[in-house]
Amino acid sequence: MTTSSEALQTTRERGGPFWGRAAVRRNLNAYAFILPFMVLFALFNIGPFFWALWLSLLRGDLVDQVKPFVGVQNYVSLTTDAITLKVFLNSLQYTVSVVPIAVVTALALAFLIGNKLVRFKDFYRAVVFFPLLASAAATAQIWSYILAPRYGVLTYLLGLVGVPEIYWLSDPEWALYGILLVEWWRGIGFHIILFLAAMLGVPEELHEAARIDGANAWQVATRVTIPLMRPVILFSVVMGTIWAFQLFDTVFVLTNGGPVHATATIVWYIYNHAFRYGQVGMAAAMGVVLLLIIMPISYVQMKVLGER
Amino acid sequence: MTQIDLRRDWRRRLRLLPQAVVVYVLLAMLVIIMLGPYLYIFSSSFKETYTLISIPPQIIPEQLVWDNYTYILNELPFSLWFFNTILVAVLVTVGTVLIDALAAYAFAKKEFWGRDVLFGLMLATIMIPGALLLIPAFLITNWLGLLNSYGGLIIPALANVLGVFLLRQFMQTIPEELEHAARIDGCTDFGVFWRIILPLSAPALATLSIVVFTSQWNNLVWPLVVLNDKDLYTLPLGLALLRSEFQVNYGITSAAAFLSVVPLLIVFLFLQRYFLEGLTVGAVKG
Repeated sequence: MTTSSEALQTTRERGGPFWGRAAVRRNLNAYAFILPFMVLFALFNIGPFFWALWLSLLRGDLVDQVKPFVGVQNYVSLTTDAITLKVFLNSLQYTVSVVPIAVVTALALAFLIGNKLVRFKDFYRAVVFFPLLASAAATAQIWSYILAPRYGVLTYLLGLVGVPEIYWLSDPEWALYGILLVEWWRGIGFHIILFLAAMLGVPEELHEAARIDGANAWQVATRVTIPLMRPVILFSVVMGTIWAFQLFDTVFVLTNGGPVHATATIVWYIYNHAFRYGQVGMAAAMGVVLLLIIMPISYVQMKVLGER
Repeated sequence: MTQIDLRRDWRRRLRLLPQAVVVYVLLAMLVIIMLGPYLYIFSSSFKETYTLISIPPQIIPEQLVWDNYTYILNELPFSLWFFNTILVAVLVTVGTVLIDALAAYAFAKKEFWGRDVLFGLMLATIMIPGALLLIPAFLITNWLGLLNSYGGLIIPALANVLGVFLLRQFMQTIPEELEHAARIDGCTDFGVFWRIILPLSAPALATLSIVVFTSQWNNLVWPLVVLNDKDLYTLPLGLALLRSEFQVNYGITSAAAFLSVVPLLIVFLFLQRYFLEGLTVGAVKG
């Protein structure tokens, strides 16, 4: 219902010439609200973004006042450097391993918790959320003891079923998978909870209809439930991929890139070259490459957020 | 229920029994995998130095000692790290929620020149990986003279783009009649925001608070590059460097890791709903 005074107010607010005094005041008013955000946003987001692009064309360390311009030299160096190649391969190998493993296991576990026989679903939801609460640093410390050779509890438990001792974090062949194990434990709850919500949102009638048509449980899952969950699975894959390419914390604490660069990731490279080796230009160039990898994947995330 | 119904019900249950057994065995395994590591470091935090490396490992130590906790509190600046983490997380949360809410209100309810361009720009920055911004953000923080200070931890974290989206989306659902009514009663623009919009946005504000608080509590990279002074460390940074800088054993790391998680576990038990909602904002796992 619109009262006459409201209508008047609306006319006064919305009407008037484009450059009229009312319009200018309305704009300044709105700018006052966004000002604090925009100042910080410009200072710590937009500004750094363009500065990072510029830095990738320079050579120098963090404290150098003058950094000589070297053009695309840093990018060329990235392609010839042996460690860079290793870093790319590690990040790629890690991502294409962890994302499918996490998504598939999470899907299976979501079906387990979502099973009609299961009561107190909220309890299991809380349980799988627990690992998400700890910092990567705390999680890494927890697991460095569990994964320790000889006296580590995982080594012991696997030994009970006849698995020989694995040097999860010190064997170059295994270290990336040691990290993967820890990150799987840390992140799986995210995917499970997302899938569970989508699964329980599928109308029961659809399941009933499929069952009446003679479908068994597996067919109902693969032909009805999972296709209906497609948008959520896509979101899950996108977020998992974005995180996987930006893996750092766990690596920093558990292996610091070693042994012999077996767990050196893109962000590990950026951190070390900028803050340890004094090669800001190389670090920034690697950052730009990371941006180019992340951007197309992240575009999907942006779309999802933009649609809401 | 009639006799026949009851009998059918029993028969149905009997038929489902094998499936139920399998489901609950698998669920028990899931619970052990998810909670086991927490429980194991909790028990390990009471282990003596030599039982830490006993083979086979003692799941529940034969002898419980408080040594690890007393070491943390007496020999390490752990209580300072705890205090720093709470201070920084609380201030960043309050600041972010306020700054984001102000901006979200304008983007949700007002028309102004350049609004859609600005919003599109903000949306686009979601695609930028944090590691790319790390170096220039560090240089700007240095330029502002904020390195190695609380300010250096807090101020760069205050403008949260995802927070503006979350709040804007929620504020758009608040009916305009309420604003008009408040204006007729003589409310200023800020008055409308403060007395009408903010209270009505409480659920979204709570979700954002949880997301920001959790990510600050767990943030490692930014404190790592900004801080030098060990007394200014936050918990994740202190934890990360325990074994490399402080040369301690697993009993001490276990105790420290456990203590660092407890506050969030408690908050989680009370505010679970907001944690679950915050999950899709995409910022919980750093």
